[in-house]
Amino acid sequence: MSDKPARAVKLNVLNEPKDSYTGGPSSLCPGCGHDQISSVIITAAWENGIQPHRIAKMSGIGCSSKTPAYYLGQSHGFNTVHGRMPSVTTGAYAINKDLLYLGVSGDGDSASIGIGQLIHAIRRNMDMVYIVENNGVYGLTKGQYSATADVGSKKKKGTVNETQPIDLCALAINLGCTFVARSFSGSKKQLGSLIKAAMSHKGFALIDVISPCVTFNNNDESMRSYGYVKENEITLHMADYIPHFNPVEEVDVPEGHFRDITLHDGSTIRLETISEQHDPSNPMAALSALHDAEVNAKHVTGLLYFDATKPSLAEDLGLVDVPLLDVPDETLRPSQASLDALNAEFLA
Amino acid sequence: MLKGCVLTRRNQEERVSDSIPRRGTTTMDKIINDFTINIATANGTGSQSANLILLQSLFDMGVPVSGKNLFPSNISGLPTWYIVRLSDLGYQAPGDRTHIQILVNPATWDEDLAAAEPGTVIIWNSDTKKKTVEREDIISYPVPMSSLARKINPKIAKLVTNIVYVGVLAELLNIDQTCLESAVARQFKGKESAIELNITALGLGRDYCKENLTKTDPYTTESREVDRPQFFIEGNEAAALGAHYGGVQLLAWYPITPSSSMAENIIAYIPRLRSNDEGEATCAVIQAEDELAAAGMVLGAGWAGGRGMTATSGPGISLMQEFIGLAYFAEVPSVFWDVTRVGPSTGLPTRTQQSDIAMLYEGSHGDTQHIVLIPGTVEECFEYGWRAFDYSERFQTPVFGMSDLDLGMNRWACEGFTYPDIPMDRGKVVREREAFEAFETFGRYLDVDGDGIPYRTLPGSGMAPILYRGTGHNPMGVYSEKPEDYFNLMARLKMKIDGARDELPAPLLREEEECEVGIVFLGSMENSIQEIDDILEQTGMKVSQCRIRALPLHSEVENFIRRHETVIVLEINRDGQLYGILRRELPNDLVTKVHSVAYSDGMPPRARIYAELIQEKLKEVSQ
Repeated sequence: MSDKPARAVKLNVLNEPKDSYTGGPSSLCPGCGHDQISSVIITAAWENGIQPHRIAKMSGIGCSSKTPAYYLGQSHGFNTVHGRMPSVTTGAYAINKDLLYLGVSGDGDSASIGIGQLIHAIRRNMDMVYIVENNGVYGLTKGQYSATADVGSKKKKGTVNETQPIDLCALAINLGCTFVARSFSGSKKQLGSLIKAAMSHKGFALIDVISPCVTFNNNDESMRSYGYVKENEITLHMADYIPHFNPVEEVDVPEGHFRDITLHDGSTIRLETISEQHDPSNPMAALSALHDAEVNAKHVTGLLYFDATKPSLAEDLGLVDVPLLDVPDETLRPSQASLDALNAEFLA
Repeated sequence: MLKGCVLTRRNQEERVSDSIPRRGTTTMDKIINDFTINIATANGTGSQSANLILLQSLFDMGVPVSGKNLFPSNISGLPTWYIVRLSDLGYQAPGDRTHIQILVNPATWDEDLAAAEPGTVIIWNSDTKKKTVEREDIISYPVPMSSLARKINPKIAKLVTNIVYVGVLAELLNIDQTCLESAVARQFKGKESAIELNITALGLGRDYCKENLTKTDPYTTESREVDRPQFFIEGNEAAALGAHYGGVQLLAWYPITPSSSMAENIIAYIPRLRSNDEGEATCAVIQAEDELAAAGMVLGAGWAGGRGMTATSGPGISLMQEFIGLAYFAEVPSVFWDVTRVGPSTGLPTRTQQSDIAMLYEGSHGDTQHIVLIPGTVEECFEYGWRAFDYSERFQTPVFGMSDLDLGMNRWACEGFTYPDIPMDRGKVVREREAFEAFETFGRYLDVDGDGIPYRTLPGSGMAPILYRGTGHNPMGVYSEKPEDYFNLMARLKMKIDGARDELPAPLLREEEECEVGIVFLGSMENSIQEIDDILEQTGMKVSQCRIRALPLHSEVENFIRRHETVIVLEINRDGQLYGILRRELPNDLVTKVHSVAYSDGMPPRARIYAELIQEKLKEVSQ
């Protein structure tokens, strides 16, 4: 019974407080980039004024795929199997095309075991947001390289990655993906704008988010690194001890500029926001920007490619207007007369 | 028009006839409607159309007839055999021997000729280079099939050659011309030029036969009156229709023999059965990138509240194991139709086997148990095609249909399909807010009714949202590794599936009063069992039949076994997969009287082989 007036709670267009969009507590390592992305998802959905229960949270297996438990607690979700989230989402979409499908995946999920399903979901222009929380390592199995790890990355125990990484954005552009963006977990403002735009996009929207692993991405000899904090090195070698980090600082890189961001392990990543002159309808320009960034050891971020003209899967399926979920049983089952007619024709 | 008849009980009193012609007799007795024709061709030459015309015309005469297509895994040029068996007793298995052999394919010529038993009729293409028929102990009818075909159209002579031998057979066997012509019309639906060309070719075959050959064999056909009209249909088409009458909303599939024609039939019937006036459908079809994705889509559909299914074969089921476990554990309705073929691995992809009984029943790692519906007739393919969805939604679990190549891809007589007698069972889905509010506590995996089947709400409903998962979970659907949560969950799942036993199709029993020998079998063995039974009963024993139509086992199966002195579990595989399930699930006192007879060589089950194996087994166990 305080005399103080209740603090005004900010509401969105649906008169919902942001709390309606939050989830359970995270069990990821403190300071994990993925948690920053979860908070951006919460803000984006709230700001976009989407009814939380009209969102379907989809994921595969891995650290990233655990995160749907940490946001949008009022949404149904499906934490499926490793690399197979796109197919489950496709099946659900065929039944209920009116939900907003928000998929979260990792680089193991999307660039290795599930790359085929990612490719075919893009090919079908499945109507969904597909966020890759990309850290270059397998976290849950304790730090093996993923297919997005840079050449020259060096693990704690010494093996150097000499296998070419897969650039998911370049892959998606080549496949004709209709919305391709790259961002960074610490770039809340840019990532938030991209997620909001992706939620409004009709078709497949891929956002590849560089999201450093605080526990296993502690290599000091990769092209991303310039040094290493000695104290951290000592603690990190203790396999069952997970150090506590603060989240990576928030960064807001103006268009056409770059900034070096220091990660938890003292390494630095150079982020460049694609310039406002970039024409996102030009796939060659987007590929060129990705190539230039790679050559210059940078990561170019922003909306790289966008095409609003291609039909999405819903149009290809040729279904009735209402979601199949809402078609009554009496319509789903053909009539007795139709079977009588078939039997008669067979017998004729 | 008259239609063929299938086996009925009244035929059982009759004896298996000895249909081998006696040599050297000039006034030979006629052998009517009881012989087997083997046609050796190469695939991709159009022989399938010709063979189906032969089969259909005999069927239309009312002759009980069955056709088995033995085809290679290949597009063109490899050996194909088509076996047509005529049997007034209604036997549908391939016969023990060939009575009439058609030789058209030089590649298998020597082998097929050498395999012919004395007295066999050989009808051969005398235009075949470097090939002839020189055997004194057979009846030889040389026909210059290629020259005759070239007369019609040299460009498509190879194609026409096939229909020429049908014309020859028609003349030799007294096949009704009206029935032949209507079969041609049915085969080439409305394509007038093709119909005309084929009828001309049939005439050339007939005329050549009349003018140049003297019939010295005993085989002939006679029209039969049939009690009930019937038609021919493949099991895959029947199952596809069943799926539509089950209101399938998503077909996600990846092409694989021998199931592709089921998916293709589902697609083919959408405009007629599942579309509105604007051509908009209520059934989505997605050809997936692989079987894993097809299974994932089926689960996605079930999770969203729809009826999703896939059609596949053993190699596809192998790939789907991961999702099958997820569907079982997270309790997601999903239907998988497995048209089995010979394994392991790629195996014999175009041959038949009851290969996947164990894999379907216990699919995926960890402790699992699945509902498997096992049709033995095309009528059951239809019925289980729609029932699969009801069971899957009612028990919130994956449900399998298990057909096989023989049942799925060959044509079988059918009296017509029966419309579902119950409304669609959508299971325990809470759709309305009012019903939801009535729950004191709502937990996705809470066993409210004590039957092991929980209630669910759907994505988009806003009611009791949870994150479905393949990880351990408590009754509220929240992640849990607690020992009691895991133990209780697994116990409930077991109880749930156990509760399905007597709700599933009961076994089909054909019992003798004496209860001496009981044969437990399943699926397409239905088409050979009566002949097996008759062969065994000729030795004086009394044989009862129990056809299992679903797993887990119905309680009637145990009762049948209890009533009989000795029980044989008969199946088309090497290891006795059904026998393994019975051994494990039957009470100990019954296990000792159950014995396995399992045999598979890729061929549809030939009655005599299985009958002899049963006799051996009975001898062995009586010692």
